[in-house]
Amino acid sequence: MQKWWSILFGVVLAASFGSFILAYCHEGWWMPKDISTFGAGVDNLFYVILAITGFFFVLTEAILVYNMYRYIAHPGQKSDYTHGNHKLEIFWTSVTAVVLVIIAVAQIRVWENIKYQTHMPAPDQVFEVSARQFEWRIRYPTSTTLNEISSKWKEEKPGAEPTVARQWERNPHSDDVYVVNEVHTWKGAKVRLYLKTRDVLHSFFLPNMRLKQDALPGKTIPVWFGTKDTESNVEWDEATGTWKINEKWELACAELCGWGHSKMQGRLFVHKDLPDYERWLNQVTAKQDAHGPDADLDKPKP
Amino acid sequence: MSDSHSHAAHAHHPEPSFLRKYIFSEDHKIIGIQFLFSSILFLFLGGFLALMVRIQLGWPHSEIPILGKLFWPGSAGYRMPPESYNMFFSMHATVMIFFVIIPLLTGAFGNFTIPLMIGAPDMAFPKLNMMSYWFMWPAFFFILLSFFVPTGGAAAAGWTSYPTLASVTVPVGQGWESPAAPNSGLGQTFWLISLIFVGISSMMGSVNYITTIINMRAPGMTFFRMPLTTWAMFITAILQAMALPVLTVALILQLLDKTFNTCFFLPDGLRFGNWYTGPGGGQPLLWQHLFWFYSHPAVYIMILPAMGMVSDIITTFCRKPLFGYRPMVYAIAGIAGLGFIVWGHHMFQSGMDPRLGTGFMLATMMIALPSAVKVFNWLGTTWGSNIQFTTAMLNALAFVAMFIIGGLSGIFMAATPVDVYIHDTYFIVAHLHYVLFMSSIFGIFAGIYYWYPKMFGRLMNERWGKVHFALTFIFSNGAFFPMHLLGVGGHMRRIYDPTLYTWLDKMAPINTFISVCAICLGFSQFIFLVNFIVSLFRGQVAGRNPWKSNTLEWTAPSPPPHGNFDVTPVVYRGPYEYSAPDAEEDYLPQTQLIPGQTGAVPVHHH
Repeated sequence: MQKWWSILFGVVLAASFGSFILAYCHEGWWMPKDISTFGAGVDNLFYVILAITGFFFVLTEAILVYNMYRYIAHPGQKSDYTHGNHKLEIFWTSVTAVVLVIIAVAQIRVWENIKYQTHMPAPDQVFEVSARQFEWRIRYPTSTTLNEISSKWKEEKPGAEPTVARQWERNPHSDDVYVVNEVHTWKGAKVRLYLKTRDVLHSFFLPNMRLKQDALPGKTIPVWFGTKDTESNVEWDEATGTWKINEKWELACAELCGWGHSKMQGRLFVHKDLPDYERWLNQVTAKQDAHGPDADLDKPKP
Repeated sequence: MSDSHSHAAHAHHPEPSFLRKYIFSEDHKIIGIQFLFSSILFLFLGGFLALMVRIQLGWPHSEIPILGKLFWPGSAGYRMPPESYNMFFSMHATVMIFFVIIPLLTGAFGNFTIPLMIGAPDMAFPKLNMMSYWFMWPAFFFILLSFFVPTGGAAAAGWTSYPTLASVTVPVGQGWESPAAPNSGLGQTFWLISLIFVGISSMMGSVNYITTIINMRAPGMTFFRMPLTTWAMFITAILQAMALPVLTVALILQLLDKTFNTCFFLPDGLRFGNWYTGPGGGQPLLWQHLFWFYSHPAVYIMILPAMGMVSDIITTFCRKPLFGYRPMVYAIAGIAGLGFIVWGHHMFQSGMDPRLGTGFMLATMMIALPSAVKVFNWLGTTWGSNIQFTTAMLNALAFVAMFIIGGLSGIFMAATPVDVYIHDTYFIVAHLHYVLFMSSIFGIFAGIYYWYPKMFGRLMNERWGKVHFALTFIFSNGAFFPMHLLGVGGHMRRIYDPTLYTWLDKMAPINTFISVCAICLGFSQFIFLVNFIVSLFRGQVAGRNPWKSNTLEWTAPSPPPHGNFDVTPVVYRGPYEYSAPDAEEDYLPQTQLIPGQTGAVPVHHH
């Protein structure tokens, strides 16, 4: 009768373990597609930790359930009268410490590569993201400005920012393009974005890029990511004259910012190459440069 | 430290009035029970708030039966609006942390057990003790009143109340509304005031506990003969005393920002629509540092006492000494000490310098070490034992099993690159509920079932206790384990409407499953409540030591009178001498003289 308690524990714990396997196998129930150049670092670390914690989970819970099954009290019998075991304490303390130190040290490089400004590569593309209650307002430079910024950047030492970029960040150009809730880049591009907010905290979260950065009022935070050169999700279809979107990749706000926090939904578009991105940029510029009600909004600028 | 005053030196106290005996009592046991009763009421409020969150996530945008008509008639069409959702999760966490777990563990169990387990007649400062309970009442008043404020309702900026969402307000003289969010006006102000009172209450309590444990242990009760419950309460009290002042100051600074136009946390040039806040110069990140400097040790405040209690309960019902007494004490101290240098792990993605992130990551990884040591020692205690499956024991074993999961999941978020992905997702929510609900609350249930006979002189019903346990165990795992899966999928937290996102909408069935389990979990708690109340009047009468336990409180009557012990106890051994081969029984109380063993002459106290 008393054995049923260990069985209850065992079944619930096994079901928990099983649910991880279920989620891994089930369509749409695991990590979204990784299209980021630093995504592998994040995912591999996740799987290593999953393996180590999974091992210790099974080991310790199995011992607990076994003890509950085996050592049920019977009247008249006494327990082992031990107060501990010094050798065992040293053993399990050192093993745990070594495992933790290994996990700690192995990950430092990955973190540095994502977040340290000195490790951020010179970008192919630059834009500014202003998080607002409740939208992402994104400012893109024209192709000319972008070429100037990215070429000057490549001449700089690692971690340094060219003056022309800093000036563009501080003082918007009159020909900059403003887009709401759409992040556009192209396959293989390294992106540097300036994250800002003027009202409350927000957080720029691109799950497919394994990227998250809180936006802080009063601060401009540099963020970088790079798209793998094998992944894109949008291209211009010449035959139909429309954009063909293959996969839906999303942008979300990940820091509570008020009642509209869940509304701050955006889209991530990775164009198949730079010309494809520039076609989009021209189309958007044309829309913004429209003059009067008879302007042809859908005609791309020559 | 025996009391050797003669009888004549003390006047006989007249029988106190009902008011002085049960309401404004200076007796630590009554005060502990007062904390227990208020906290149980808030537990049900906090649970209700959680169920409201789960109703929205399980069935988004649905018309909610009964409650929908009550709360949101009119334009919301009986559906939950997003600002209410934000208020529900913010207040759920606030109530559970500050009005349930901390008062239960430190206020109720700390107060009740400390003097009894060290052999003292009461706390060092009984009047201060009484005040520490009554300072909770202004806190109750403000937090409950905040639900009814006309402009917006209770605080909805998260229990973390980050500026600027929480802290912006309109200049003095122009009302109490905040442009950042409707609930960040008067509701948030009351939240701040309420928590300041909670902090003062806890600081008073912690000073009392530290002094009592250092100064009032019975003869023979050396530090390393104290039970783990007392060690845990002692170290927790030190944590509270050191960390709370920082939170209290931060709350006052935010309150000044909201009411006196200071700019501690408000940078220059904030804009909300057309409204411009004007000169600032403050730093929102400063709030996060001050807040988490307290709130990280707070999470250890919320688990260490439970760890101590679980050690005592497991040894009692294993009839076996604690495996590794000294390592267990050092592990508690290690967790507490390291707990002060890891607060930045809540802020890895906050915009603080990432080099700080590396530093905090290293310290956070190390905290897993003493926690793991404790788990191994509990496993060692159950090995080769004789387990009695009482309700208290089941809850204590569940603590261990669930803490393993909660502790292991913490390693993922300690790893900074993984945290980039899982920060502010349901992975975090899963982790925190495994350590708070399924560890601390199971520990609290274990403590209630265990010490109930000492508190009230009657036993709770074992059969219904086991039913309560089994249902709680099954449904809590059902509710919280799948949250790990949501987090792996990238599902954000504090999100009113995940269906807007295609990639999240695919996980909607998981959300519905969680909500169903959560509702069943909530209703299962009524079994506990009924058992608790009915047993007060109809429970089986308990003797002094129904569990045949070794520690000092079981030598006193159930319940103990004012002054606790018939004579000042004298302690001859540690608390875990179970199944000693040369003892007749399978337990050997700390105060029991073995024939042939000399001891001090017991002394009368008044």
